[in-house]
Order: sequence, then structure tokens, then C-alpha cells
Amino acid sequence: MKNKWLNFFYGSVKLKVQGRGVERFINACLRNGIYIWSVRKQSENTATFFILLKDVPRMRTVVRKSECKIFFIGRSGFPFLVKRTIKNSGFVIGLLLFFTVVFLLSNMVWDMRVQGAKPETEYRILKELKQMGVERGAFQFLLAPPETIQQKLTERIETITWVGVELKGTTFYFQVVEKKKPKEPEKIPVRHLVAKKKAVITNMFVEEGQPLVSVHDYVTKGQVLVSGIIGTEGKTKLVPARGKIFGETWYKSSVVLPLNAVFHVFTGKYIEKDYITGKFFSIPVKGFKNPQFKHYKIEKQKKAFRFWRWELPIFYERVIYRETEEVKRTYSWNEAFQKAKEIARNELKTKLEEDASIKGEKVLHAVRENGKVKVEIHYQVIENIAIPQPIVQGD
Amino acid sequence: MVKKWRQQVRNWLTNQLELPADLVMDLPRITMIGHIHIYIENHRGLLTFSDKELRLLLKQGQLLVRGEQFVIKTILPEEILLEGKINHVIYLEE
Repeated sequence: MKNKWLNFFYGSVKLKVQGRGVERFINACLRNGIYIWSVRKQSENTATFFILLKDVPRMRTVVRKSECKIFFIGRSGFPFLVKRTIKNSGFVIGLLLFFTVVFLLSNMVWDMRVQGAKPETEYRILKELKQMGVERGAFQFLLAPPETIQQKLTERIETITWVGVELKGTTFYFQVVEKKKPKEPEKIPVRHLVAKKKAVITNMFVEEGQPLVSVHDYVTKGQVLVSGIIGTEGKTKLVPARGKIFGETWYKSSVVLPLNAVFHVFTGKYIEKDYITGKFFSIPVKGFKNPQFKHYKIEKQKKAFRFWRWELPIFYERVIYRETEEVKRTYSWNEAFQKAKEIARNELKTKLEEDASIKGEKVLHAVRENGKVKVEIHYQVIENIAIPQPIVQGD
Repeated sequence: MVKKWRQQVRNWLTNQLELPADLVMDLPRITMIGHIHIYIENHRGLLTFSDKELRLLLKQGQLLVRGEQFVIKTILPEEILLEGKINHVIYLEE
């Protein structure tokens, strides 16, 4: 017996045969190699059965030689299904269109919400975003990652201290912290001012409190500089001591600097290649050239496509090849020595507060060993040494 | 006379060599599954068919199948599969 499943792919038609000698007609069909199934006798002169669609042309010759008439009363199978689908293609196209539209809309930016910013700052942020391509209707996968947007925003708009960028669904949320003018001094609890470290006092500005030391005094760490207890014996009063006590302090720092060093520096040239990637495939969509760089670093940004609320396992991947260059740096002894001093100074400055100043420096010793310069420097620094110490009121 | 003689030779051959009778003697091979299916091989064409009766031409004689609700599931030049409720299978000798 033949395979019924194959009949589905060939397509089949249901026939009605009417006339004298239906049996003879069937025999004739068989002799001509026409495959017949599900023969049913309706009445004395009529029968219905199925034949394959490809046998229909052969059927005509058989019919001409017989005394019967045939009627096509049904059709089924793949070819007819295709035909019907083409006829109803509007529906299929609509369905595809629907999914495409939902897919595209799911990958767009629909809203940008700025929180915690004044109107003018908000306006500036939105303007900057527009320049970066972040606007309503932009495709998410073409945009820079939120971290980069965040960095650029903080760089370009000086009135904001920090901005948190978050992409939730199709909405960008910007949480802005603006730089604020100094606030009214808070109510400070009663306190002493004590020395941060050992120092020789050079200058004193006491706003409130009873100074216990004077200029040129040598103080040790934790020593009370300005007392929060004022008034004469017996009639004392507690106040929050305020003021700045500048003292000369000492720092020692050592720097080791190699005379020869090799760096990898970005030249600024780069090539971008965009791909649509899945688990088992990767289709390039932009940038088909291979990088011609001798040395390069690869940076990858991957973003998932979204459909409705879900992230699809398909990604838009941007691969950036950045050209690097090897740079050799060689210092002479003198240069290295100067450089080391500079480094040490900068290092120290980052540690100190803004109102501190470096009064003097003295190179303790500088040696050259194993192709490196080792410098040890002693610094004299004038800085505010006062730190508050709350007065604990007992009982 | 010759025909009868040939028939006897064939009969003898099947008995002696244990060859299947349907091959050597062109007899129909009929397989029935309960009373709902009948599968006939080696027929020579359809004579009459209705939902109560099927008459097939054989090499020698005819085969008559009687029953109810007959449907020919498949028909090929030498094979036929009939479905329905089968009551009688009758050989009609010429």
C-alpha cells in the first residue's frame, strides 16, 4: 500500500463518477495506473473516490473513452493549502507585519524621564541626549551603553554632580544629582578640636572656643587644640569649637620609576563592526572590512533584542577594534629624577586637603638600581591639623 | 484438454515442491481481518461494486463478497482492500 502521507504532499481530489458501468470505469483507471482509494458507491450509477492531483490529466483520456461523467467535489492536501494561503495572504502578511512592528517598537526608546533636576538642567540634559542620538524613536541597540551615556552626561554638563542612567524596558530613567550651593551651617554638637597628627603650629584662626596652644608649639596626635569648654572656673559653658589650626607636618614618600618602559597607547583610530548574533550564528550587518591594524584591542558591546517584555536570545553586537601602538619611553638619569619628584609631589597633593600647601621638600636619597630610579623625599607641609572631637556629656 | 493437463502439472508441482499455491496457480490470496477488512491479491478486475456487494473477476471464476457498508479503501491493478461488515465470501465457478 502506498503512503498516505505522501498523498498529502501531492494533493488529492475527490471525484464523483456518474453513468453506466462505474466499475468498468474504475478498472480502466487501474489499467492506466491511476491510484484510487476510498471508493464508495452512492447509488446504482454513482460512486465517489479519491485520486492524486497529478493523475488528473491522465484521468481525462480515461473519461473520454467511457460512458461516465466526472465531477470534482473536493480537494485536499498541500498544493491546495498553499493556494488557499496565497489567496488569504493578506492575513499572513498582517500577522508578520504585526510581529515586525511589535519587535521594532519593543526595541525603541519611548520615553526619557529626568528626575531630580531643575527645569533648565533637564532641558540641557535632553539636548545633550539628542546630540548623542538618545531620543524618542531611536533604536536601543544602536545606542551607546548606559554607562557611556552616564559618563558623557557628567562630563558635558557641569551643573550636575552625578547622573544615574537606567534603561527599563523602553524608558530611560535619569536620576540627577545637581551641584548645590553651600547649605546653611548645620547645628554642630559641642566639641573640641584636636590635632590630627604631630605638628608645629604655624597659624591659628579660632572662631569659637578656648585655644589651648599657641603658634610655634609642638603638638602631638590627639592633643586638644581648641577646647569647647569656655568661661571661668565654675561658670563653664560648652560650645562647639570651630576654627582652623595650621601646623607644619612632615611626610615621607618614596617613588620607584623604571628608566625604560613600554606602553600600549591607543592611536585613536578604530573600526566598528556590527553583528546580529545568536547562539549558533553571527550575521554581520555593518562594517565588513577587517581591521588593518598591527596591534589592536577588541571592545565588545552586546545588547539583547527585545520582544514585548522579553529579551530574546538574539543580540546586537558591536565590536570595536581600537588600534594600539607600542611606545617606548626612555629617561635619562636627570629626567627620571625630575619625573620621580613630580610624581611624588602629585601623589602627596591628592592626599592633602585643598587648603594645604607644600612648604619645602628635601631629597633624602636617590639611587639607581636594576634600571630603576628610587627616590625618597621628605616634605614639609602646612595644613589644617584640627579635627573635631565631640565632648561626651556624661551621666 | 491441454488446459486441464497443465492444471494437473501445476497441482502436482505445488504438492511436490511445496511452492505457494497462489504463485504457481495464479490463485487469489485472501486475507481477512475479522469481518471488517478483506484484502484480496491477484484479482483480475472489478465486476460490480455497491455498498452491499463486491464482485471480482479472478483467473478462474469470480469472487463474491457480501456484507454492509462497503468501502474500497485501496484498489490497485492486482490488489484490493475492502472495508465494511463482511458476511459472505463466495466462490463462483464458471
